[in-house]
Amino acid sequence: MSSFQQLSRRELLKVFTFAGGAMLAGCSDKNPNGTKLTLTQWYHEYGEKGTFQAVQHYAREYSLLNPHIAVRVVWVPGDYGTKLATALLTPDGPDVFEDQLTEAMVSAGQVAPLDDLFTPEDLKDFNAKDIALNSVGGKIYGVKEIDDMQLLYFRKSVLKAAGVKPPTTMDELIAAAHALTTPTRKGIFLGNDGGVTALLTVLPWSAGSDFLVDNRIVFNNPRTVASYEKLLELNQSGSLLMGAPTDWWDPSSLTQGLAAMQWCGLWAYPKIHSILGDDLGAIIWPAFDNAGVPVTSLGGWTAMVNAQRPYVEEAKKFVKWLWIDNLKDQLDWCVGYGFHVPPRLSLAKRAPQLSAPIPAYAVKALGKYGQATPPLWNAAMTSDLTNSLTNIVKLGHNAARSVSNAATQCTRELNRELE
Amino acid sequence: MRARSTQEKIAVVSRYIVLSLLAVIFLLPFYLIVRNALMSDSQITSSHWVWFPVHPHWHNFVSLFHDPDAFMYEGLKNSALIAFGTLILQMLFSSMAGYALARIPMRGSNIIFFLILGTLMIPSAVTFVPTFALMATIGGVNTVWGILTPGVFSAFSIFLFRQFYLRFPDEIEEAGKLDGLGYFGIYWRLLLPNSVSIMMALGILAFVGSWNNFLWPLVIGQDPSAWTVQIVLSTFLTAQTVHLHELFAATAVAVAPLIVIFLFMQRYIMEGAKFSSGKE
Amino acid sequence: MSVTHQNPETRVKERNKSHLRTTLSFWAFMAPALIGLILFMGVPIIWGFLLSLSHAQNTIHFGHFIGIRNYTDLLTDPEFLNSLYTIVIFTLFIVPITFVFSLWLALMVNKVGRGKAFFRTVFFIPTAVSYAAASLIWRMSLFNGTAFGFVNHLTALFGMSPIAWIGTASPPWYWLVLVTVRIWLQVGFYMIIFLAALQEIPHSLYEAAAMDGATGGWQVLRYITLPQLRATSVSILLLCLIAAFQAFDEFYNILGGSGASSGNIGLARPPLVYIYSIALSSQDFGMGAAGGFILTALIVMFTVVQGKLFGFGESREGK
Repeated sequence: MSSFQQLSRRELLKVFTFAGGAMLAGCSDKNPNGTKLTLTQWYHEYGEKGTFQAVQHYAREYSLLNPHIAVRVVWVPGDYGTKLATALLTPDGPDVFEDQLTEAMVSAGQVAPLDDLFTPEDLKDFNAKDIALNSVGGKIYGVKEIDDMQLLYFRKSVLKAAGVKPPTTMDELIAAAHALTTPTRKGIFLGNDGGVTALLTVLPWSAGSDFLVDNRIVFNNPRTVASYEKLLELNQSGSLLMGAPTDWWDPSSLTQGLAAMQWCGLWAYPKIHSILGDDLGAIIWPAFDNAGVPVTSLGGWTAMVNAQRPYVEEAKKFVKWLWIDNLKDQLDWCVGYGFHVPPRLSLAKRAPQLSAPIPAYAVKALGKYGQATPPLWNAAMTSDLTNSLTNIVKLGHNAARSVSNAATQCTRELNRELE
Repeated sequence: MRARSTQEKIAVVSRYIVLSLLAVIFLLPFYLIVRNALMSDSQITSSHWVWFPVHPHWHNFVSLFHDPDAFMYEGLKNSALIAFGTLILQMLFSSMAGYALARIPMRGSNIIFFLILGTLMIPSAVTFVPTFALMATIGGVNTVWGILTPGVFSAFSIFLFRQFYLRFPDEIEEAGKLDGLGYFGIYWRLLLPNSVSIMMALGILAFVGSWNNFLWPLVIGQDPSAWTVQIVLSTFLTAQTVHLHELFAATAVAVAPLIVIFLFMQRYIMEGAKFSSGKE
Repeated sequence: MSVTHQNPETRVKERNKSHLRTTLSFWAFMAPALIGLILFMGVPIIWGFLLSLSHAQNTIHFGHFIGIRNYTDLLTDPEFLNSLYTIVIFTLFIVPITFVFSLWLALMVNKVGRGKAFFRTVFFIPTAVSYAAASLIWRMSLFNGTAFGFVNHLTALFGMSPIAWIGTASPPWYWLVLVTVRIWLQVGFYMIIFLAALQEIPHSLYEAAAMDGATGGWQVLRYITLPQLRATSVSILLLCLIAAFQAFDEFYNILGGSGASSGNIGLARPPLVYIYSIALSSQDFGMGAAGGFILTALIVMFTVVQGKLFGFGESREGK
């Protein structure tokens, strides 16, 4: 229980100051019947049908096994990152939530260490990259729920008709997009911001650069600049779809024929495949040039426990039950709706849905070419870099200077974080 | 003489033409809301423009309230609570303070008055970050009362009530005193019943401002159970999947109550608009 | 002051009692509003100032003081300076356009005989619509970038291909979208204020002007109407200026993306949106608070300049 004193003081202040407002609000979110403990769990909105029902089902399952605990699932559409970060500042934030771990969350004491949830066998079975990405200072703060990755989807028949081969370099990709553009269809869709968000980290990676290595900002180099300049070229080419009804994470632009190729997630594979069937082809992002590497970003969502809530132990048990022990629900979550790669290697091998050609290719490619930014990389750095790429692509600023400005800003952020 | 009247006629006719054209443009967004709210997604995105659906999809409104991702019902309920709460509490507290400043002789009351006026100069830009910090500390984040309370206290309303009560005839107040009324009695029995018009004018402005407010509810309402209808609307633009027909149906539902209020209470709203330019 | 009658003590007592009652009444009536204003104006300003001097990453508490580094960091951050530049340009556009358009509308509507109430209502009714709702219509229907956008449908009639109004940087069509939505939303409100002021101009002034031979519309406007509207004009300019500097809603909703996309907000990001993202997305509350003070300083500066140019009149600003 939260300290009675604190509670009563807050209630008192509420009543004293806002008599009217408090009366109107009526129901406070405090749980009045002390018999049942309610854990609040936050998810961002998954786009696929049935996902919300699925997580509610998992929560109910847990309550059946543990009658004294109820799990209230909060489904948050929109700008999840901002909403979650803000809720974590308050005493009434969620008990369990999904997000990507950052060191700032650890140093602010927002997340509880979860090392004791893993048995040595579990640790071996989880994707080592995932464990590393969720560790800070030798402690594990999150359990990866799903691994996400992106693919460049296309219609084989359309490429064939235009005499275009799947691109293997950035220049080929630009040429292909150009060749595939017709008056009623654009060559490629990378998001309504022209690819700024979706390719922010992918492009420099494809050119062999990186962002934050050994506590140093390392992206300020000619390869990053060159890769960003190519996105500008693509944006000016007229073969990019802009202003589509949905953004890059939704495959509608490809399936409705607004664009011939689209950068989208593996999550959308079931939907695209059900519409395009065997005409569907997919590759990960091509190498920038001969000196680059093909790449996809290792994304996904991690379950974490709010260290500032009074029910840390109960929340940890729930996380262990759902995201470490419960293989059945994990499999359902990974391949039952959209497709995601299970972070447990044994599970990834066992899922029959992932053995079709494109998903099998995706799983392998993610293992070999998947890249991610470390926990020290934070939202402010992403926004600095996004500003710089926007300036280059949209406003025509000098690429080298924009990247170097972003590096200055990111270094400043980094120093704040490290001090 | 004759020429002049023709000239005048031309002026009158062309004025009507220009104003009618502008009226069409001003009404266009409303038309688009209604048109799209009654169409299916494929009809809306069709490149072939249809001016009005032959078979209106009234069902869009039903599906809107059944969509588990849309939170429309919660949004409307929260917005109504917040708007009515702001209206009632702001009118009550502001008229009380305005009465005290105008009618209760008190040393130093002028200083208080000028301090209150001074807060008018403070833009919300400077207060929204620390006000959030304050709310987070006292447990107001993700609650309806947390969204509501900061909007209750309006220096502007206090100022206008004070000006209004300053002009209240002394004779009536004296008569009340002779009847044995104290300060509370005078306020309750004499001033309040005579404040209906100013309360309507300012109250509707408070209601509209609160219903349409965006930044503060966005900052405070993280959990969908605390969203206002404006946040629900905004979320349609940022959600993973976009249901265009629901988006427009939701817009229609969110806008309709205020349109009704505006049409029926136009007189008071115009009164309020005049107040806000500093005219009394 | 002199007490000449009998029973002086009772009178003094009574006077003290009534004095006490007055004092108590005054504070009782003032209390709710005063406490509220102190809590939601006074406290945040002090808290905000202390935050702005602190390193407050992922926390809302001040204490880790770092001097004025938040201010210097912001003032050397090209994106923040860019946002200040953006809002100044926006304001310089929107304020004169709104002013002239609403004045012109008021003059036109005022001259109309039959149908006056209709036109007044039509131009005023958009005031009922929120920025969020209007942004949604502008973005998803009116100025949508695909062929089903209304304006694109109209231009298609002239054989033009669809224009991505919101995502294109050159030409910067998005300004057209942002400016029209604000004008649609606010021009009716200011028109009503002008209409009210127009009705207060004494008829005798116009009659006198007609006698003096000032028959042309322009002369009457210039020498009678405009000077009579001076006070109203000044307060409208002020209201409009302060509102424009704090623009947030339409930028956030029209240009914004979501968690998985930055959208097009990088094209034109007003300071309030930038401050919001520093404080709430990047969770740097110290820098967010500092940004609020810098923006306020800018608003005060422009208000003073405008006041010097046009006079403060007898105007009072609203919120």
